[in-house]
Amino acid sequence: MDQSRRNFCLGVGAATAGAATLPPVPAEAAATRQGGDPAHRWGMVVDVRKCVGCQACTVACIMENDVPENSFRTIVSTYEVTEEGRSGTYMLPRLCNHCEDPPCIPVCPTGATYQRRDGIVVVDNTVCVGCAYCVQACPYDARFINHETQTADKCTFCVHRVEAGLLPACVETCVGGARIFGDLNDPGSTVSALVRDQAPKVLKPEQGTQPRVFYIGLDPKFQGKVDGTPTLWRPSAAAEHDDGYRVDEAHAEPRAAKEHA
Amino acid sequence: MSIPRRLLLKTTAAGGALAAFAAGFSETGRKLVKGAWAGGKPENAVSGNAPKPEFRVDPASGDIVPTPGQIVAYTGCIGCTTLCGVRVRVDTERNRVLRVAGNPYTPMSTDPFLPYGTPVKESFKALSRFQEKGLNGRSTACGRGNAVLENVTSPFRVTTPLKRVGPRGSGRWEPIPFDRLVREVCDGGDLFGEGPVEGLAALRDLKTPIDPAAPELGPRVNQVALVTGVPDGRESLAQRFFQQAYGSINYVGHGSYCGGAYRAGSGAVFGDTKKQPHAKPDIANAEFVVFIGTAPSNAGNPFKRQATLVAKARTDGALRYVVVDPVLTNARAAAAGERAGWIPIRPGTDGAFAMGIIRWMFENDRIDAKYLSQPNGKAAEAAGEAGWCNATHLVVVQAGHPREGRLLRASDMGWVTLDDKERYGDRDAFVVLDPATGAPAAHDAAAAATLFHDGGVPTPAGDLAVKTGLTLLREEAMRLDLGAYADACGVPADVIAGLARELTSHGKKAAVNAHGGMMSGSGFYNAFAVVTINTLLGNLNWKGGTIVGGGRFPEGGDGPRYRLAGFPGQVKPAGIPLGRNVPYEKTAEFKAAKQAGRAYPAKAPWYPTAPGLTTEWMSSGIADGYPYPVKALLLWNANPVYGIPGAHRFARHLADPKTVPLVVAIDPFINESTALADYIVPDTVLYETWGWTSAWGGVPTKMTTARWPVLVPRTDKLPDGQPIQLEPFLIALAERLGLPGFGPGAIEDMDGNRYPLETAEDWHLRAGANVAWLGKQPVPDAGDEDIAFSGVGRLLPALKATLKPEEWRKVAFILARGGRYQNQAEGFEGDRAAQRFAKPLQVYNEAVGTSKSSITGRRWPGTASWMPAVFADGTPVGDVHKPEDWPFQLVSSKSVLVSAYTIGATRLRHLHPENPVGVNAEDAGRLGIETGDRIRIATPGGAELATAIVRHGVMPGVLAVEHGFGHKEYGARAHVIGDRRQPEVPGIAAGVNLNDLGLADPTRPGASVWVDPVAGTAVRQGIPAKIERVGSPT
Repeated sequence: MDQSRRNFCLGVGAATAGAATLPPVPAEAAATRQGGDPAHRWGMVVDVRKCVGCQACTVACIMENDVPENSFRTIVSTYEVTEEGRSGTYMLPRLCNHCEDPPCIPVCPTGATYQRRDGIVVVDNTVCVGCAYCVQACPYDARFINHETQTADKCTFCVHRVEAGLLPACVETCVGGARIFGDLNDPGSTVSALVRDQAPKVLKPEQGTQPRVFYIGLDPKFQGKVDGTPTLWRPSAAAEHDDGYRVDEAHAEPRAAKEHA
Repeated sequence: MSIPRRLLLKTTAAGGALAAFAAGFSETGRKLVKGAWAGGKPENAVSGNAPKPEFRVDPASGDIVPTPGQIVAYTGCIGCTTLCGVRVRVDTERNRVLRVAGNPYTPMSTDPFLPYGTPVKESFKALSRFQEKGLNGRSTACGRGNAVLENVTSPFRVTTPLKRVGPRGSGRWEPIPFDRLVREVCDGGDLFGEGPVEGLAALRDLKTPIDPAAPELGPRVNQVALVTGVPDGRESLAQRFFQQAYGSINYVGHGSYCGGAYRAGSGAVFGDTKKQPHAKPDIANAEFVVFIGTAPSNAGNPFKRQATLVAKARTDGALRYVVVDPVLTNARAAAAGERAGWIPIRPGTDGAFAMGIIRWMFENDRIDAKYLSQPNGKAAEAAGEAGWCNATHLVVVQAGHPREGRLLRASDMGWVTLDDKERYGDRDAFVVLDPATGAPAAHDAAAAATLFHDGGVPTPAGDLAVKTGLTLLREEAMRLDLGAYADACGVPADVIAGLARELTSHGKKAAVNAHGGMMSGSGFYNAFAVVTINTLLGNLNWKGGTIVGGGRFPEGGDGPRYRLAGFPGQVKPAGIPLGRNVPYEKTAEFKAAKQAGRAYPAKAPWYPTAPGLTTEWMSSGIADGYPYPVKALLLWNANPVYGIPGAHRFARHLADPKTVPLVVAIDPFINESTALADYIVPDTVLYETWGWTSAWGGVPTKMTTARWPVLVPRTDKLPDGQPIQLEPFLIALAERLGLPGFGPGAIEDMDGNRYPLETAEDWHLRAGANVAWLGKQPVPDAGDEDIAFSGVGRLLPALKATLKPEEWRKVAFILARGGRYQNQAEGFEGDRAAQRFAKPLQVYNEAVGTSKSSITGRRWPGTASWMPAVFADGTPVGDVHKPEDWPFQLVSSKSVLVSAYTIGATRLRHLHPENPVGVNAEDAGRLGIETGDRIRIATPGGAELATAIVRHGVMPGVLAVEHGFGHKEYGARAHVIGDRRQPEVPGIAAGVNLNDLGLADPTRPGASVWVDPVAGTAVRQGIPAKIERVGSPT
């Protein structure tokens, strides 16, 4: 995997998606939705101008959801970009896009992956067999196989918090206030207003997935011109046997519990 | 989103992508057969192992229903020096922290923050989805703040007192009972089978001079020294013990290897080089800010608050800002477009850049003349200014005159006659010139005064050559032209001019700021110059300009409820501190040397205008015993061996009992310094601890964060149930040593009633009572609901037992809100800061301008100036370590994620496991270095292997090293405690520590680290270096 300059370029080739023109839920997809309150359609707007790249969201998600070590349901991809001799950093918070037409669902052989009627895409880990077809199908690299449970894992929009009247952990702790969460069905919500007024973009619109994670401040001029160096470093030889995990497989098992949880 | 490392390495990848599903799909079939639960079964089908939310908020009514078994408590974080107020969600049954986020009452974590009177229950609502309150009211922890809770349950924690087995640094320890620890440390004896060791009792000699021939050094008790790290809010108690009760003068913090050079330069401008006041830009209201050697959202303090404000201001507000630094950070967010800029600069040359701006301001008449010409506070107020400075005050410049370099005084003019005690004191006015008549006048009697003057004034003793301070600054600025400044700093002249024009185009709503980037061999004058730009902008105390901040509610004063500042029988420590931050000219050494006809150089530098200097303690102090040897060293949550560039070479001195006979560490972890101790006293961690802290700066309102133990500490318990930590250790030492100020009846209330100081609560709860009664009126009482919702119920028995009936609910009110916070609207009065710095800023600092280098005997300039990095004898560094031999310069940068003591947090390490060294793309191309390559970095101080990351965002010729990695302890090495061996976690050792490449000063004869010659602060910016590629990634 190119880590992911290619993905990054593709990703930013984003189309504008105004709320007024948000297409309706594909009938087929709607029919299969289950659970959740259809009165809501949860979505997120990420104002990348406000992202400071602190990774508070990344760690909060890990702590909130007990995400397995070395795995991430959300992360802020951080690149150094140089354009016409001018350098800057580009921070792109990434997570499950909770698409209107999620390509992860049809490929699931067991029905473990499904969409709630409030739009949140989830995995029933009692049904999932860990085949990882969904991991492959997701254009946003948002899924992984949880190496503790051997089932597919991903962002749930912190559905357990949302149902308790709270906000997702990443939103609660977003230092720059870049992550905005709310009900796209409620025209008075902040996310609805932003989608309506700010003409936010989505990642990989050409995939037709209709993401419900929108981005303000994604600059299309980066498309195809990005000379980006990922600055949030992933390890080299020095860290190759960190922490008791084999690291050459995505879903390797813990070798030994040498460290605390 | 599991990221397989080998795969990433192949693709020179860094933590970009979410998922990296890499295993072969042959797995799939196997799993279909095997089914789920190849691993552990999570608790919930959809939410996995996520614990129940901490409470439920009805989205329609806002009603709060707490979750049994969990509490949410507002307390403080110590994950870095910012010391934010946080909310900690605790699983009370398991005594574990589930998650940490921000405290909505504190400006450190929230903007806008809640009115202080808000009930705790309502504060939960404010964080929720209810009416979308939680979006605007969100209160955050940073990435590190979210992760450091791991330190509580770390397997590397020390939880019982330890005594070394074998030589210092052997890594083997014997757990010992607390009372034995106290007995041995106090009484000494043949503690290690290596011969007798003097204990703290024998060393507490308040009478016998260290050296009868040099009585100014003070009594022998000064040979006991204490180094602290982060000021975590227990300093008032530690100082009470160590200075007021035990009696040593040698108590020092970490400033000299933190941002001390910035504070020193700022102190010169603010007229106090000991306390070093400083101001920060009012980011929320500024229109243009230049950050020099600091970058909001990457570094600086308060780190997180600045990040929040800058994100908001550059997107929704008026702010445009530029970061001038050798290294690009997230602060130049490309998505913010023109609102955020980055200009690379050569390390340690900020003074040239700043003096270039100052020159341009003078040349183009863009100084704030109205502000600068006000000679006193009253005149300034009448002129509509919010502060004043000494730009117009006359300085004696007559060569050879006894008053040369001094500010001209009324007594020099014969206007007043004062005795020696009062002469040149506060009652002896400065002298300015009346612009209308040209006549001299007392500064406090004049209105706007003459800005520029170079000539004579008639005095009773004849004509005296004088200049205004501003004239001296202008001369200094005009010494080089803009091109020369540009050549020195690597920022083009037109860019300097452009920034100067922009800075002077926003009235009072523009500012400059600096911080850790000043830690170079020219740091003091670089910072002096940077801060002087603000003086010329006249922006102090203005909304959108620079503000000193609201300060704190001081908990440790004499009242208003308890006298905590002093006590009967307290000692006033005397003598010369180990850091030699006093004038050399007042020592016996100087007098003897002068008599011998060679007053200079001193044996090692002295720093008359600096505060305490751990840098000098570690080198000449401990290693050389100059000006006197150290007999016992206490390290309290301090790690100078890791933190001071070049101090690694003194680890062997610290490890030698002949050099320092007794070393006692108080620390929850074994770090690079405490590993060399004789004893380790376990301290508590994070949310187990007490502490009263405030903002380092940048908060307009008054605030004190209350950190209180929301967890049951995991350290061993004493027989009376107290957890072992700093406080009971100090109390027990005091008891055994028979010191005043501790024990029964040690604390007095305002009516003279006496109360014990026998537990941590005895101190901290009474400190809380002081906080409660400060301000215009005391805080309200906490109701039962506040107590129930805040987790403070855990402390009720202690609150009721320790405090008076009228006190405990008020202290509970503070603890329930994690501190005391003045309301946000009170930060400004109109366009001015409510809390203003009232004293004059110093365009010319007399104390600096009349101080001398103790090595060269030459005077330092009294205004901002540009001078390249030098060693102690004034030799430019480049003359010794020539650029042709050392073509690179190392710089240190703050980590967004890792602080000096958080490498043990697994989740941080997994996210950011190493600190590859940034190499400029052109340099890398020339040297054949690619991202991921192993490189060898050599400096005149050492060599280390590192990993390279090739970047455009690093100035050519610069190697950028992120701080916080390259550990040798904290778990990088497994210690053996009793029969238990710590886990092996090699990842903790990942990366490189720039400080291990730090320099000694080759112009000094004894032990040294390279420091700024005026401030005495560590040099970590601009260390000469060379690199070579040694291999590809494996």
